[in-house]
Amino acid sequence: MNLVSVGISHLTAAVEIRERMWLSEEELRRAVTKIKEQFYPECMLVSTCNRTELYGIEGKVGVDAREVTEFLIEFKNAGDAVRTDHFQEWKSDEAVEHLFRVVSGIESQVVGDIQILNQVKEAFALARESHTLGPVMNRLMQTTLHVGKRTRSETGIGEGAVSVSYAAVELAGKIFADLSRKSSLLIGAGETGELTLKHLLGKGIGQVFIANRTREKAEALTRQFGGTVVDFENVADAIRNVDIVIASVNSPTYVVLPEHVHKVMKQRSNNPLLIIDIAVPRNVDPASKKIENVFLYDIDSLSGVVDRNVEERKSEIPKVESIVQEELQEFLRWVGSLEVGPAIQQFHDLLESIRHQEVEKNIHRFKPEDRELVDLVTRRILNKVLHTPATVLKQESEEGKEETMARVKALRDLFGFSDNGKDRHGA
Amino acid sequence: MRSTAFFHSFLEIPILPVSNPVLRRKHAMEMKPLIDVLSIAMPILYALLVLAYGLVFFRDVEFASRLQRPLIVVILLVHGIYLGARTIAFQHPPITSVFEIMTLLAASIAAAYLYIEWRTTSRNTGFFILSLAFAFQVVSSVGIHDMTTIPEYLHSMVLGFHVSAALLGYTAISLSAVYGFLYLMLYHEIKSTRFGLIYNRLPNLEMLEIMSHKSEVLGFISLTVAITIGLIWLPRVFKDFSYFDPKLLGTFAIWVLYAIGLSAKRKFGWQGRKMMVLTLIAFGFVFLSMTVINLYLSRFHSFH
Repeated sequence: MNLVSVGISHLTAAVEIRERMWLSEEELRRAVTKIKEQFYPECMLVSTCNRTELYGIEGKVGVDAREVTEFLIEFKNAGDAVRTDHFQEWKSDEAVEHLFRVVSGIESQVVGDIQILNQVKEAFALARESHTLGPVMNRLMQTTLHVGKRTRSETGIGEGAVSVSYAAVELAGKIFADLSRKSSLLIGAGETGELTLKHLLGKGIGQVFIANRTREKAEALTRQFGGTVVDFENVADAIRNVDIVIASVNSPTYVVLPEHVHKVMKQRSNNPLLIIDIAVPRNVDPASKKIENVFLYDIDSLSGVVDRNVEERKSEIPKVESIVQEELQEFLRWVGSLEVGPAIQQFHDLLESIRHQEVEKNIHRFKPEDRELVDLVTRRILNKVLHTPATVLKQESEEGKEETMARVKALRDLFGFSDNGKDRHGA
Repeated sequence: MRSTAFFHSFLEIPILPVSNPVLRRKHAMEMKPLIDVLSIAMPILYALLVLAYGLVFFRDVEFASRLQRPLIVVILLVHGIYLGARTIAFQHPPITSVFEIMTLLAASIAAAYLYIEWRTTSRNTGFFILSLAFAFQVVSSVGIHDMTTIPEYLHSMVLGFHVSAALLGYTAISLSAVYGFLYLMLYHEIKSTRFGLIYNRLPNLEMLEIMSHKSEVLGFISLTVAITIGLIWLPRVFKDFSYFDPKLLGTFAIWVLYAIGLSAKRKFGWQGRKMMVLTLIAFGFVFLSMTVINLYLSRFHSFH
């Protein structure tokens, strides 16, 4: 397997280094086209906030991975910050395994990151559009995406929110059946509050209200996210009409008190109310939590949820690794089957040319009536000699035995076969 | 006058033709070994079913998850054979004693669950709902006995409607209670921020409440129909009929309890935890009515 991968990631470089190697879509198109011309006949590039990685199939001529790395650094004009030792290199089976691990999310900074699957999918799509995928990379793409989907459907690697803002949204999904029929109120304009609102909008929340001490800031947010501005003084009343409250105001005292919540709950016929208090100091008096059908969470309780989810995801890594190994063996079996057939054919052609030459050279020594028989007998000898190794190699390839590739390589090396189907003898 | 005559003739229609008692005993003797085996097998089969659903819910065992659907279908078929065998052997459908009703209820709950699973593709409430079916089947198998001779009034078509409505009502109420129970468990986990299996596997609170409420409405309507038919039919059939029979009073109290709960939800917007607690209390009364009152206190409305 002549797959090579070089890449920079959060494991080898800090963000200020990684960001220099990030490629836009247009840069990705240009880069893969150049890489195809200069280094690998089949290739693709993945570039995310945490990694930039190149996967390529070597052609007839071997490529020094260092040269490819230098090309990438030069392409991004990042030589002043990025060094070649910021990059890692994987070859052959290891490169395939690495790609499978990446797409599964177990190599991500946030274990089980769901975005990486889409990012790899986009990278493959872009390479295909740029005509840099060949048969092997195409098959690798299908298998890689299959691995990504399998690990997410068969393990819990992507389950549970791993950010405070997303944990809040996940909670909302566990309380309410249909978020499009619910409304939310954002009090304050903190970063996490905005992010939570963004996630809620992503989940299709019905209505959005925004209240802030500085009305202009609230208006700016409604321009960004849509929704309606609510006067900060009327926040307690506004809670009556919403199902989810996200509080992130910078305030030394509580903005929402239990008596407010009590009153509001009566007015709203005891409809469930989710309050996400991500402000420090807290905006909502924690005593409100005791009120029936009120679900109040502060930053600590949400962080606790996130920590537990991260631990649970980590405990799923062995299951993911087992899927990766299973799919890796399957893929290598396929690659093996690709290489066994041509190798056997080349071996047969070589022996046949030798037989033919020797028969031609010596045929005059036989009586004319025996010459046909000589040809037939030598052919039979050749076929019998070839039968066992050809059968064993095919069988091993079908069974996916690891030593098959080594045997094919040995055969190629010993008899001097090249990738273009010619041997050193010119056959 | 004509409609009254029709109604009276309707009340007299037998549910099954009354056959010769000698022939009935012969049928019973022939089918008894099968009935006895199935009577013991049914709780074991339901236990296996609950185990399969439990293994998936608590341990995520893949083998069990593949087994669930075929197992529930097979068990329902076997249950059908069991009920059919009882009907043929004793020449009456299994609706004449509380234990016969309980095995019908178990089958009815399992069938209702299979329908829910098919419609929602959610298998995560199966363990809890089917546990209830298992409990009913255990009680039934322990207490059930052969009734080769039953009073003539138990052959009435009206009894069939009465029992079918009551059965549907009790099934729906049982489901409502299970959903209520699941709601309270999930509510507790969400409130206490101790997110575990219940949090991860169950549908959201609002969905559980909707399912509980819908089951409750269906149960209430069915019970209303069952009670209405009963009130028309019972005084005609039983000479010792009394409106003060403990079972009638108990059933009426349950009906009133559900009526109050549903009206309060509609009028005062009662919902969430409070409604779910009420649902469980009401189900407690239903269970009490089906067991203690039916078995030990009722004078005429008990056929065991």
